[in-house]
Amino acid sequence: MRLVTDVVEYATRHVPKYNPVSISGYHIREAGSTAVQELAFTLRDGIEYVEWALARGLDVDDFASRLSFFFNAHNDFFEEIAKYRAARKIWANVMRDRFGAKDERSLKLRFHSQTAGCSLTWQQPYNNIVRTAIQALAAVLGGTQSLHTNSLDEAYALPSEQAVTIALRTQQIIAHESGVTSVADPLGGSYFLEELTRKIERAALDYIRRIDEMGGMIPAIERGFPQSEIADASYRYQQEQERGDRVTVGVNRFTEQQEQSLDILQIDESAEQRQVEKLARLRARRDNLRVTEALQTLRTAAAGDANTIPAMLDCVRAYATTGEICEALRDVFGSWQETSVL
Amino acid sequence: MDKRIRVLVAKPGLDGHDRGAKVIARALRDAGMEVIYTGLRQTPEMIVNAALQEDVQVIGVSILSGAHNAIVPRVLDLLREKDMTDVLLIVGGTIPDTDAVRLKQQGVAAVFQPGASLEQVVEFIRSSVKQPA
Repeated sequence: MRLVTDVVEYATRHVPKYNPVSISGYHIREAGSTAVQELAFTLRDGIEYVEWALARGLDVDDFASRLSFFFNAHNDFFEEIAKYRAARKIWANVMRDRFGAKDERSLKLRFHSQTAGCSLTWQQPYNNIVRTAIQALAAVLGGTQSLHTNSLDEAYALPSEQAVTIALRTQQIIAHESGVTSVADPLGGSYFLEELTRKIERAALDYIRRIDEMGGMIPAIERGFPQSEIADASYRYQQEQERGDRVTVGVNRFTEQQEQSLDILQIDESAEQRQVEKLARLRARRDNLRVTEALQTLRTAAAGDANTIPAMLDCVRAYATTGEICEALRDVFGSWQETSVL
Repeated sequence: MDKRIRVLVAKPGLDGHDRGAKVIARALRDAGMEVIYTGLRQTPEMIVNAALQEDVQVIGVSILSGAHNAIVPRVLDLLREKDMTDVLLIVGGTIPDTDAVRLKQQGVAAVFQPGASLEQVVEFIRSSVKQPA
């Protein structure tokens, strides 16, 4: 929280057009959460960030319009569209009523979407092209500002050039052939979508209220609340799939004996060697005294109340590595010990 | 006397994809086994030490980062060094077919690739662990 607040504060005061944080629900969903949990935990994280930024003395309207979000685009088409619509509605209300934002731009929730990596199947991998296209369409109809489409072979490995190209073409077909980008919120007013949006909104608000009652997201995480909600949901999902209650084409229905083989990307082990050599060259070339001093200044900033970003930028200018910067911060802050929630 | 099978579920390396490991851990527990889950970012040394201290019969490592060819042989070496070759090592995750064959040749008891069911994992462990008579 200290670091994210430092970034928001620094950006607001010195780089006002920068987008300092992408508040993510993607990893929450990939970990197995439901759509409602993804929405609720992400927005509650956003609320936490805003509260900390306000406590730093920032004015809400000075930074709120630069916050952005990152959501998953999963299989259930209408549920996903409703999720994005509910996200905008809840966030606008939160910014106006909870934080007293006056600027209309502060109420707007902008978001990036990525199709659901966890929905990709190892079996019949070409089906993943179709899954991704449907998920991407949901994100576009839900009003996403930017979009990442996964490649068909990502249940196997990092994607091949050919697979990445198909993923990109999927976006281009949606953008330039389907015509769906010519209108905002095209499903607004549909009885079903409006009702689903309200349902998801109510369920997410209920989670947000429960986390408020726990004292915020940090006490909630410390007591393992979101973790255990997500773990329960992901176990349920897996059991539904194994029982066949949840159909996954090619996995538990419409299966084939013989799987098609894919040419997957192989990363040569020499890549590691090259990176190690590059790092050694950097360390030999840079002014190591300057690096040591910059890292020490960063430790001092981290241990005190100062914003760590100027010190961190000096480390980068001195060619300190990300590893060295993180190590310096770990010296001061320690590391998070995961509470095992099963 | 019925003794429960003890399993260590471990996540080595920097790979944060712990959904599968957690689901497997829960499934093994529901199947009546004693499960210890290590949490993220374990080194092979930490995994083998935990296995020794917890006196497990099975170690399950979950790897979705592509680092299995570096990590798994190290775990096998450590098991041999500590005279723990009676501990069954199973691997789950995004392991390509050719690598799965190689890992088994090196001494991994089973490799569960994407699409493997919870039941397969449970059954494999039940049938492979030698229960004291």
